[in-house]
Amino acid sequence: MLFNSLSFVIFFILVLVLYYAKIFNWTNKKRMLLLASYIFYGLWNPPLVILLWISTMVDWIAGNKLAAEENQRKRNMWLMMSMFVNLGFLFFFKYRDFMLDNFTAVVNTYGYGYQSQPMDILLPMGISFYTFQTMSYTIDVYKRQIEPARTFLDFALYVTFFPQLVAGPIVRAKDLISQFYEEKKATANQFIWGLFLLSIGLFQKVVLADTLLADTSNTAFGSASVLNFLDAWAGTLAFSGQIFFDFAGYSTCAIGIALMLGFFLPDNFRYPYASLGFSDLWQRWHITLSSWLRDYVYIPMGGNRHGVLKTYVFLMLTMLIGGLWHGAAWTFIAWGGLHGAYLILERLQRRYLPFEITAKNGFFLALTTFGCVTFTWVFFRAKDFHSAWNMIKSMLFLNPDGEKILGTFDIIKVFIVIGIMLLCHWFMRNTSMKEVSEKTSPWILGVVWAVMIFMIAIAQGSGEQFIYFQF
Amino acid sequence: MKLKKSLIIALVLVITGIGTWEIYWRSQGFYPTIDDDKDLWAVQRAKVEKATDQDVLLTGSSRILFDIQLDAWERETGRRPIQLAYVGSSPLPVFHDIVENTDFKGTIVVGVTPGLFFSTTNPKANPWEWPQSRVDHYHNRTYAQRLNHKLSLPLQESFAFLSEDQGIDGLKLKELLGKVQIGNRIPNNMPPFHEFGEIARDRNLKMKDIVVRDTAYANSIIRVWMFFGKDAPPPDKEATMAFFLKDLEKYKARGGNVILVRCPSSGGLREGEKMRLPRTEFWDDLVQKAQVKSYHFEDYEQLKFECPEWSHLSAADAEIFTTELVKIILKDNALPTSKTH
Repeated sequence: MLFNSLSFVIFFILVLVLYYAKIFNWTNKKRMLLLASYIFYGLWNPPLVILLWISTMVDWIAGNKLAAEENQRKRNMWLMMSMFVNLGFLFFFKYRDFMLDNFTAVVNTYGYGYQSQPMDILLPMGISFYTFQTMSYTIDVYKRQIEPARTFLDFALYVTFFPQLVAGPIVRAKDLISQFYEEKKATANQFIWGLFLLSIGLFQKVVLADTLLADTSNTAFGSASVLNFLDAWAGTLAFSGQIFFDFAGYSTCAIGIALMLGFFLPDNFRYPYASLGFSDLWQRWHITLSSWLRDYVYIPMGGNRHGVLKTYVFLMLTMLIGGLWHGAAWTFIAWGGLHGAYLILERLQRRYLPFEITAKNGFFLALTTFGCVTFTWVFFRAKDFHSAWNMIKSMLFLNPDGEKILGTFDIIKVFIVIGIMLLCHWFMRNTSMKEVSEKTSPWILGVVWAVMIFMIAIAQGSGEQFIYFQF
Repeated sequence: MKLKKSLIIALVLVITGIGTWEIYWRSQGFYPTIDDDKDLWAVQRAKVEKATDQDVLLTGSSRILFDIQLDAWERETGRRPIQLAYVGSSPLPVFHDIVENTDFKGTIVVGVTPGLFFSTTNPKANPWEWPQSRVDHYHNRTYAQRLNHKLSLPLQESFAFLSEDQGIDGLKLKELLGKVQIGNRIPNNMPPFHEFGEIARDRNLKMKDIVVRDTAYANSIIRVWMFFGKDAPPPDKEATMAFFLKDLEKYKARGGNVILVRCPSSGGLREGEKMRLPRTEFWDDLVQKAQVKSYHFEDYEQLKFECPEWSHLSAADAEIFTTELVKIILKDNALPTSKTH
């Protein structure tokens, strides 16, 4: 079920009515939320709810065994079993055909003429999100950083909680499970603020991503032609904006919906396109994934504890895994590799060419960071390396005879939207929406809110899927 | 309670804004319409799963949609056909889906618009991709999508501004922005294309009265046909015929009944069809090889009509055309059984 759909509106109103009506005690309210979460997921593809159940059962059992068991060998075994099941699902559904294709390509370079049979299996929505979330629980219990969930209901709800089930934020057990222990009820202010966040999230998705940017990006990246300089930049910038508004929009909706039920989810985006460098970027973009990779991949691998060279290797490996997490294709790995290279170059710069960041050079640095990030999006969005390389060459003015495929108004529209987005990120980078809203007159806030809802109403189409669902 | 105040202001403004927006578009002559989208098509396709040998499916392009009126057909036969035709489409992907993925062995009416029927078997070409995307959607649609569609219909029938029309008649924000033109960076010579049909929940489509009343409106649509006709790719008779005949044999072998219908066209479009897709070479050859009941409008005086925009019948003429066509079909015993009056 999509947040930007009529069925979700009805579904959420029913959930709210049942949640706030005085007919259930807290345990039954949680049961209702769990059932609602399964319905939320099952309305997409009912049989795949079974995967959620298996993942829940396996990590519930593993978590309890890990907490009770003292024998290290047995503890390792339980951890391995959890990893095997979760990563096994991920591998089978997401990476099987990719691995098979590469295996076939390698084998055939030796002239074996092997023909693989891709299974074209349906990728369960949000599998990368909920497997990472459940794995974090098991690993944290293994490291004795958290206690296992008190009840199976609390744990099942943690795995399945519908606001963040299919596209995050990826929430740690310590941040969410404990919220289920005591009865939660949003205050009037929290409820209205949650509704405001839901409106902003939908505005980002429906108006900014789908209506103003998606077509330009799809036209540019879907074109078989080598593009003109302006068209390549407009298409790539449009995608930079589209993916931010799409994903941040989903996260903002999720945070708002959870808040309307009285739960707090962590921020996932903090104005990332005003980042001053790439370390800053990863503390602002998809924060819950980057912190997951830091805590469960980079640091266990060795982090910065084994000298400069190994730190760089671990950084690069972490970012390559981050790229692969997004999709089973070499272009995603190249995207991760570029970000790894950026992080290494930034560390080298800090070591050998340090400089103080001021207001003036800060803005320039933010623009440079955004420019570099924009180049990486080409690999993220392009269907293959050939198209990506053509797009990069066009952006670097190396295809002077490239074809013009976008109208003047489309180009102007993209530059205006992206320009406003960058300015907003720059002015908001050290504050939050909550802080700004508290300083804003209720009349202005009301008018802004009304404009957003009005725009959603006149823009809403058949309900485009969120880009990150495919991951 | 600052937020509560903002919420109240927002709600008042949103209700006022949307109300004003709706009133404005209605004052401009727009009214609520149902979108002929993939979900609407899929609801009809789902009916095939429970259809009996006595049922009739309509496949083809916009001519079958405009020209066959379901009420008239039902009146004459006692059964309401299932409308699966779609604009700008070859009937082959839908026919193939029915043959391969269902047990249906009733009657399938295949509309033969020569420029589309014989156009292509290339899955990337529009006449194939459009109907195929509907077939795929039917097989892959989620329960959430079905629910969204059911919930959206009452809204579509109530608000003009929710119209999914595209191009010059589009009212969605994306369509309104799409009308803004600055300079001529990408030359677009396609004439403005008005929506000229209204569809019902069961996909019964009628031509809008304005096409009959307003010659300028009808001419604007004619200009679009001429635009597309000018650069139309050559037909691929061999591949399309082979594809269709293979499915047809399979369908006939399981006891299915097929009727080929060539709906009217007129004016310059008919002249163009005569030149590009001459009847003897295309229609007659298809009929000869298919060996099924076939009806060409030019063979029956009662089926000859002038199309207001050269390609489709007005609502009133479509009613007569359907009635007369069914009478001919019944007289010819082309349907397995018929209603006794």
